Amino acid sequence: MAQKAFVSGYYLDDKDLVEGIKALQEKNIEIADVRTPFPVHGLDTVLKMRRSRLPRAGFIAGAMGAAIGFGFQAWVFTEAWPLNFGGKPYLSVPSFIPVTFELTVLMAAFALVFGFLISSKLGPGADNIIFDEEVTNDRFQILLEVSGGNSDELQAELQSAGAEGVQHHDV
Amino acid sequence: MYKSFEFTKKIKSFLIAMLVIGAVLAAAGIAMNLDHTHRIWANVLLNGFFFTAIAMSAAFFVIVHVLGESGWHTAVQRIPEAMSLYVPVGGVFMLLVLVGMHDIYHWSHTEHLDEVLQGKAPYLNPLFFSIRTVAYIVIWSLLVLWFRKTSLKTDSTDDIKLFNKQRTIAGIFIVIFAVTSSTSAWDWIMSIDAHWFSTLFGWYMFVSTFVAAVAVIIVLLFILRRMGYMEHVNDEHLHDLGKYLFGFSIFWAYLWVSQYLLIWYSNIPEETVYYVKRIQDFETVFYANVIINFLAPFLILMARGTKRKLNWLIAAAVIVFIGHWIDMYLAIMPGATGHAEFGILEIGMTVFVLAVFLFVFFSRFAKAPVVPENHPYFKESFDYDNIR
Amino acid sequence: MYVSPVREPLISGEKSYSKVTEDIYAPMTGKPGKFWFGGLTLALIALGFGLFSIFITVWDGIGTWGLDRTIGWGWGITNFVWWVGIGHAGTFISAILLLFRQKWRTSINRSAEAMTIFAVMCAGLFPLIHMGRLPLGFFIFPYPNTRDVWVNFNSPLLWDVFAISTYLTVSLLFWYMGLIPDIGTIRDRLKEGIKKKVYWFLSFGWTGSARHWARHESMSLILAGLAAPLVLSVHTIVSFDFATSVIPGWHTTIFPPYFVSGAVFSGFAMVLTLMIITRKAINLEDYITKAHLESMNKIIIATGSIVGIAYITELFIAWYSGVVYEQYAFVNRAFGPYWWAYWIMMTCNVITPQLFWIKKIRRSFAATFVISIFVNIGMWFERFVIIVTSLHRDFLPSSWSMYSPTWVEVGIYIGTFGLFFTLFFLFIRFFPVIAIAEVKSVLKTSSEKFIKKGK
Repeated sequence: MAQKAFVSGYYLDDKDLVEGIKALQEKNIEIADVRTPFPVHGLDTVLKMRRSRLPRAGFIAGAMGAAIGFGFQAWVFTEAWPLNFGGKPYLSVPSFIPVTFELTVLMAAFALVFGFLISSKLGPGADNIIFDEEVTNDRFQILLEVSGGNSDELQAELQSAGAEGVQHHDV
Repeated sequence: MYKSFEFTKKIKSFLIAMLVIGAVLAAAGIAMNLDHTHRIWANVLLNGFFFTAIAMSAAFFVIVHVLGESGWHTAVQRIPEAMSLYVPVGGVFMLLVLVGMHDIYHWSHTEHLDEVLQGKAPYLNPLFFSIRTVAYIVIWSLLVLWFRKTSLKTDSTDDIKLFNKQRTIAGIFIVIFAVTSSTSAWDWIMSIDAHWFSTLFGWYMFVSTFVAAVAVIIVLLFILRRMGYMEHVNDEHLHDLGKYLFGFSIFWAYLWVSQYLLIWYSNIPEETVYYVKRIQDFETVFYANVIINFLAPFLILMARGTKRKLNWLIAAAVIVFIGHWIDMYLAIMPGATGHAEFGILEIGMTVFVLAVFLFVFFSRFAKAPVVPENHPYFKESFDYDNIR
Repeated sequence: MYVSPVREPLISGEKSYSKVTEDIYAPMTGKPGKFWFGGLTLALIALGFGLFSIFITVWDGIGTWGLDRTIGWGWGITNFVWWVGIGHAGTFISAILLLFRQKWRTSINRSAEAMTIFAVMCAGLFPLIHMGRLPLGFFIFPYPNTRDVWVNFNSPLLWDVFAISTYLTVSLLFWYMGLIPDIGTIRDRLKEGIKKKVYWFLSFGWTGSARHWARHESMSLILAGLAAPLVLSVHTIVSFDFATSVIPGWHTTIFPPYFVSGAVFSGFAMVLTLMIITRKAINLEDYITKAHLESMNKIIIATGSIVGIAYITELFIAWYSGVVYEQYAFVNRAFGPYWWAYWIMMTCNVITPQLFWIKKIRRSFAATFVISIFVNIGMWFERFVIIVTSLHRDFLPSSWSMYSPTWVEVGIYIGTFGLFFTLFFLFIRFFPVIAIAEVKSVLKTSSEKFIKKGK
């Protein structure tokens, strides 16, 4: 793996973080990542993040769940082994609603959770790099990628953008 | 800052025109149906009940937000508040129903009742029924007027005591409404099919009219926006109203399925008779009811974007409003007239009552500032956002 | 986000972000106290007794229970419904209250959800044992058996299989996804060692990246949107077990929403009972305050009153229906041989929770503790009344019967308490009891410190 290096700067308040990001963006400095102890509101618009495609994945999986759930029950009771239960029709739609609903929810939930884990590259044994263990405590961190040995330059930029402390990390 | 609403001549004359058209059509309908008066009275009940229940549900909408310590609703609160003031007027239609009682409720013919209805006579008899009807109307009217009065007082002072008083009224309101919403639905609607009974019926009716009330709030908001008012209402408020419409449409469907499935599954003739009648003689309406009130709002409002765009939201709201009128139609007509009839009478009567409702709403809405600016949570309503 | 100064702060004391981490992490460090060991030992003893009772049931057969041909469902199903009901609070808090933007949920959702999962596990045990032959439990899954016959999709009992397994799975996913960031927080507090490695593994490599947070929020919201109807569906389907039948007292259309309301009611009561002890035991008084108590008690009044109205509705419509069997069933409930169960249910569910209308009582930890236990008792008796009282008067008077549990049934019930508390004690030791990240996210709008600053 090619050698990479990052520069990090941290803030102690989410408002300062947002100000810092805006200051860096004004200078056209590309921000590699922002790491926070909790979801900071408005960060998605500031960082111009694309809207997540998870809702769509959930919808498709849910629709599949509904189709499979209903289709399977209908197939079992009309094709595979039609049985008469209390004089009800073989294709007794109201009876199929509960299982259809449960499968819809189950498949949508699986799609959402696995979609989230896969698209975020998270999972059991994922070896993401933690640059600062205090990020999960009270630090709001901005990460900038070093290219062509401009580490000192970036550190100075971070400092002027109000970071409380800056650091260089080799990966 | 918040442009107060003016009940202009233009609106007034539009509503009067609507009123006249409705009255003419209704009169024509009545003239054509003089030989089956039950259809006429059933229409009075249908629209009388529907709009009164919407007004009560609108009051409930406000009350439940007061009790839930909500802040966002204050931006739109005055709309349902003004809607709720229709209760005393709608009550007049319900009093009219008392006049036509014998044409709608066959248990009211006390002289020839079968054994089952004789058993119900201590509850279902014309005198007690009339007392209950009057009591609902009077108590409900007092409640909505009391709340409105307290709410208006906050416009001139920011005394926190008034805010606490609103909560007290809300508490009293919810206790009374918890009981009367069910009993009124049994009395006015369920007893049309006098032999039939369902414990869920009251809650089902309440949710049906609540969804309709949310739809009406959205529609009125849209009309007001078109006229250049309520410009402070932003996408977040629309999103929240949209979620209400979406969520409670699903909840309505849940109750519909619960009631239908249990009766269908157990297959007891005393109970299935209700659905048999509806499926045989009102087949189109029966299935349309489910599709319009569940599938349409579900599909339209599922995405986040459509809840935040007034045009999509309004489409869903109008569909749902019509849908729940159909739901009421389906609850009343099979028992009252026995045939799926729809004509000038139905249209005229609905247009007429709707015009009265709108007239009351706009005239009341003009009487007060469009927002309760001194509400302690008012500012919160403009500084929150929905998760993406 | 602006918050009115009129609102009561949810988190008291001068809390900074790191103080929050420290406070919630504290109970997980050091040696566990006597309280914890004592509690865990008791729970394990109860669990052992339960396992022994299950063994007796399987070894000697279901005849060791007090059931007969008339009363085929007794304590087993009563306990099943009771536990499932308790398992409704957690997902209600984390899903429905998330949709309603109730910030107070952040302090209780994590532990309430854990309770949900444990309660559903306890619940699931009963139908499995009730089937008699545990090794054949897989018969409930939809596969063609030796004669190519499939399971019966028309049966509410089968819907239960789907509903409860889906509920358990989705609740578990929802709970764990919420836990990941907090496990990350714990991981980063630990010194190098095996424990850190374990938490590293469990944290799924959480970094706190803004992109992950955005997706995480989006996922949580939609999961909440899915879980909200799911919560409703579970107890609805449990109620179908009864209501699809033609037995007077069971077959009534109000059952689905009324069961759901009762479930949330009992679930909140259980959460309150445990949280009132836990907050004292592990010093979380600043995070679970009177403001939380009041909000939860309001939900108790709301759901309790809905249950009360449902009782009265059933009673009234039984009379109104003119069906003599219905009328008899309800008179028999109130004045028949099981009258005491009915009146315990009425007192504990309908009357005592109404005390919460008084502000002093709904803000008192001691009073809430007592009333919450009353609610738990009341809700257990509700299921007992519905199941046993409706069954013991058969349509055929020669089959009329009475039911009392044997020690084996009682033992299994005690055993589920053992299982529930064993898991709960392990949970408060190894996982953060309060959602750290979520509390931090509302700290600025809801803590005493920031609200004061705002003024």
